[in-house]
Amino acid sequence: MSTNEEHHYWPPSDPKVVKEELISSTSKGGKTLKKAIWALSLLSILGIVGLLGKLFLESDDQTQWGYIAAILAFILSTTSGAPMVAVAPLIAKANWARPISRIAHIIGVVGIINIVIMIPLLWVLPPLIVDGARRRSIWFEAPNYSPHFWDTLGLVMLALVGLALLYSSALPDFATIRDNSKGTKQKIAKLLARGFVGSTVQWSTLRMRIGVMSTFYFFTLIFVHFLISVDLSMSMVPGWRDAIYPMAHAMGGIQGGIASVIILAWIVRKYCGYENYITLNQFWALGRLMFAASLMWIYFFYSAFIVFWYGKSMSDTAWLDLLIRGPMMYMFILGMLFSFIFPWWWLIWNKVRNSVNGPFYGAILAILGVLFERLRLYVPAWSVDPKLIHDKWLTVIPKTIFPDIWDILVFVGAISSVFLIIIIVSRIVPFIGIWEIHQFNLLAKPVKYIKAHGVRVAKPD
Amino acid sequence: MQQRNNENRLSQEYTNSVLLNGTLQTPKWWPYLVSILGFFVVVGFVLFGVQIKYGLGVTGLNRPVYWGLYITTFVFWVGISHAGIMISAILRLTQAEWRRPVTRAAEILTIFSLATALVFPLIHAGRTWRIIYWLMPYDVSRGIWPNIRSPLFMDPIAISTYLTGSTLFLFVALLPDLAVLRDRTTGFRKGFYTILALGWRGNPRQWKMQVVGGILLSALMLPIFVSVHSIVSWDFAVTTAVEGWHSTIFAPYFVIGAVHSGVSAVVTMMALMRWGWGWNDFIRPEHFDALARLLTVVATAWLGFTFLELLFAVYGLDAPEIALREMQIFQYPWNMLFLLFLLTGYILPVPMWIFKRIRTNIALMFWSSILVNIGMWLERFLIIVPGLARRTPFVFTWDAYSPSWFEWYVLFWSFCWVTLLMLIFSRIFPLVPLFEQKESEVFSDDIKIGRATVPTIFREEEE
Amino acid sequence: MKSLLGLYLDPNDAANAMDGLKEGGFEQGTFDVLTGTPYPEGAFGEHVPQHRLFRFPAFGAIIGFSLSLFLTTATQLAYPLITGGKPILSIFAMLIIMYEMTMLSAVIFSVIGIIFESRLPNISPGVYDSRITEGYIGVVISVEDSEFNKAKKILEKSGSEEIKEA
Repeated sequence: MSTNEEHHYWPPSDPKVVKEELISSTSKGGKTLKKAIWALSLLSILGIVGLLGKLFLESDDQTQWGYIAAILAFILSTTSGAPMVAVAPLIAKANWARPISRIAHIIGVVGIINIVIMIPLLWVLPPLIVDGARRRSIWFEAPNYSPHFWDTLGLVMLALVGLALLYSSALPDFATIRDNSKGTKQKIAKLLARGFVGSTVQWSTLRMRIGVMSTFYFFTLIFVHFLISVDLSMSMVPGWRDAIYPMAHAMGGIQGGIASVIILAWIVRKYCGYENYITLNQFWALGRLMFAASLMWIYFFYSAFIVFWYGKSMSDTAWLDLLIRGPMMYMFILGMLFSFIFPWWWLIWNKVRNSVNGPFYGAILAILGVLFERLRLYVPAWSVDPKLIHDKWLTVIPKTIFPDIWDILVFVGAISSVFLIIIIVSRIVPFIGIWEIHQFNLLAKPVKYIKAHGVRVAKPD
Repeated sequence: MQQRNNENRLSQEYTNSVLLNGTLQTPKWWPYLVSILGFFVVVGFVLFGVQIKYGLGVTGLNRPVYWGLYITTFVFWVGISHAGIMISAILRLTQAEWRRPVTRAAEILTIFSLATALVFPLIHAGRTWRIIYWLMPYDVSRGIWPNIRSPLFMDPIAISTYLTGSTLFLFVALLPDLAVLRDRTTGFRKGFYTILALGWRGNPRQWKMQVVGGILLSALMLPIFVSVHSIVSWDFAVTTAVEGWHSTIFAPYFVIGAVHSGVSAVVTMMALMRWGWGWNDFIRPEHFDALARLLTVVATAWLGFTFLELLFAVYGLDAPEIALREMQIFQYPWNMLFLLFLLTGYILPVPMWIFKRIRTNIALMFWSSILVNIGMWLERFLIIVPGLARRTPFVFTWDAYSPSWFEWYVLFWSFCWVTLLMLIFSRIFPLVPLFEQKESEVFSDDIKIGRATVPTIFREEEE
Repeated sequence: MKSLLGLYLDPNDAANAMDGLKEGGFEQGTFDVLTGTPYPEGAFGEHVPQHRLFRFPAFGAIIGFSLSLFLTTATQLAYPLITGGKPILSIFAMLIIMYEMTMLSAVIFSVIGIIFESRLPNISPGVYDSRITEGYIGVVISVEDSEFNKAKKILEKSGSEEIKEA
């Protein structure tokens, strides 16, 4: 699947050409894109209709809201983890990530959708104290509506920090667009660029800001995964005490984030003609990350499973009955296949990882795996009879709940909103960072060592 | 002496002569230190004999604390062993240049600490020979095969796998250096190195196998490394009988703790290597800087896992579990140990490492790394012993565990043993991989971007 | 057959020597370059070695997996004792042992593969000089007696510090 020519793709060395090619992505698309925007907008509105329909017709029955919670967790897991693909290589000073870091930041902005889905869930999520009894949660003696407040705050913070991270990383590009465009685009770019001219002080402040935002984003991400996973699933089930669960959930989020970056990078490369920028090197590195993420998934899953399987206490057995061999048995099998077995067996081959399409197909498998896993965890958790919440362990395993029309509308609307937001953002922010490609060209050059071909990569402090 | 264009470069001859100064010549301090350590080690072996003769009564182990210092130290040494693969494999796969002087020392620390860890269950068992019957896969006269369902059986399988893999990895990476030793020695030593070097000549095929094989073995050893300490953690996590043990987070918690303590041990070792052998050109402040940054990330992740473990221990609102945690955190003497564990494991060292001046100060890095390992040993102690002390519901069986001087000496013996093995290794094989140092001189260069001098690395084109 | 070893200080001279031998009509497999440190692949214009290293861990993994599956299954079925309430064939416990033995076998076979693909052990390594591990670069060639002088001239012309014969 790989050819030697693929590795020889390199961004143009002329900064002017780089600038023109990358700015053009903000105006590419034409009529096809306009039609797509209309269609996605319509579907997103249908998603809101689904939420409202569910809220007005089923708000008194908590057991019917599992799919909504699962959709929230799925969007969180597939989009919010994406900026980590830019953050981690930044810390390691890895040059390969520069062409795709903007894509990762753009996907991170989609967290706004989670806030929208969270609003109706706030109504339905039970308070900590019901009929005078306080249920098990991470909030212990906190006020009654603690999960609602902190979870929403977490999601809002994540969306804001994601936006701030994107803005920080795109600031120099706004300046470039300001200097190379006319009309409304120039006005918007001028407003966003806030006088950036590329002085030494501005660059060092920018780098520091990106570093701080990235670190803050990482901690916020882990915090939000911790809150959402525990408050929206573990706390709903009596006796479910699983210390590794928040980390496993976050790991699934990282896996989903890597997958979504691969998918968007593939689409951008194909439809914007960016073969010289997003090359085999990016997919090869991302393929390895994807492979590692699927191994981490099975590791975290098995660590929890083996403890419950060995323990055989009433609550251990209830966990197995609820989440493995009970109402979601087939979902568990699908989750195992798509989160681990298929991506692992696909990406273990060098030829697959060392190609453009190989990691793309692997990413699609992984995204489906994340979906099945979120459904497996959230739907049964919400379908537990609320009257049992104060029991020592779960004694009545609920039957399988299937999605209704509102759930399907919300799901379709959520996915459409993801793509809609990405397209809208891409009208203002280039998909590939112009200044990052300039830096890429500055720091990496194809050279010859005696007779060997290679790349000389600079590693400034 | 062969010189290169850049005056700052180290020639291969210089690299050989400096890095082999401990192998081809005996440092002045070496015989004294080895004698002292050897004495302590021999005393330790004598004490093992005493324990076999008089039984486990020489220790402080008794109802209900049946697992004490020996098991704590066993887990501790398994943890230290994780440094080798962390540094050797992960940093090799991520092409981190700063790993080069550290890899061999980290690998042999892994091997010797694993071998030491394997000894501890034998010491702990009292009647050591029974372990052999219990472990060996044969059923003659016993009428039963080993119980593969027991994590206690999975432990030696995993540790042996890791030990074998690490040893083979070390040997493969040693081949080019064995050729250097073959070329620089005479007589019996030359014959010894010639046999081990297997006829290495340094042609492109052999170097390619070093590079490709190194990556392959790194990729294979990484999953083993994760599995070993996870399996050790499952010794505790799978049982519901002891409060505070039955937690799903133990596997990654132990692994990240192992990386924390292991990498800190490597920092300790690197400082001692620099001071002991005068390898100032090769073990430089920037290596400590890079390790400290890695440690900061790992330590913070470890703290997160510690927090989760404690949080979810009390999450279930289970009275015995909450009582145990209250004892651990608020009751004397456990509260002092808990505070000491937090202080030494994170609160003192990590904020120090935020500052570059401290990260590049080798003495401070040395002492902070020792603090970390004190904290990590205490962490294992606090996981294992308090739960056992409160294991049964009968209050009359609750007792404080006081390790005897015997057990403390065995702990001390283990440090002497590992250090002695490493010193003996250093007289036979180089502690810093020579070819990796030379490779870095070939692949790295400095260029000017404007007025700034920037280090660069040459990366080969992929096939 | 005779062997010649040219020793060079400058890698460019060694590369020129390799070029010279190639242009001189000598077969690719008869000459090689020896270094004390890895250089970028193809730096001396040498023939890039092909290997089948990855078959070894794959084969080893299959062996390890099969052996461990047999061992764990057979021993549990041989004396079917219930321990800890677990089923006789405790698959999840077996998986751990099988995983470790699969990986162990893969590692062992990988090491065998590395040593084999390096064409080691090399009992008669031929003409060699210990200065190669001091930074010199050796260009070694095996030639017929009739071509000996031609090869020697090429090595000398490229700027060798010394030429050894065997």
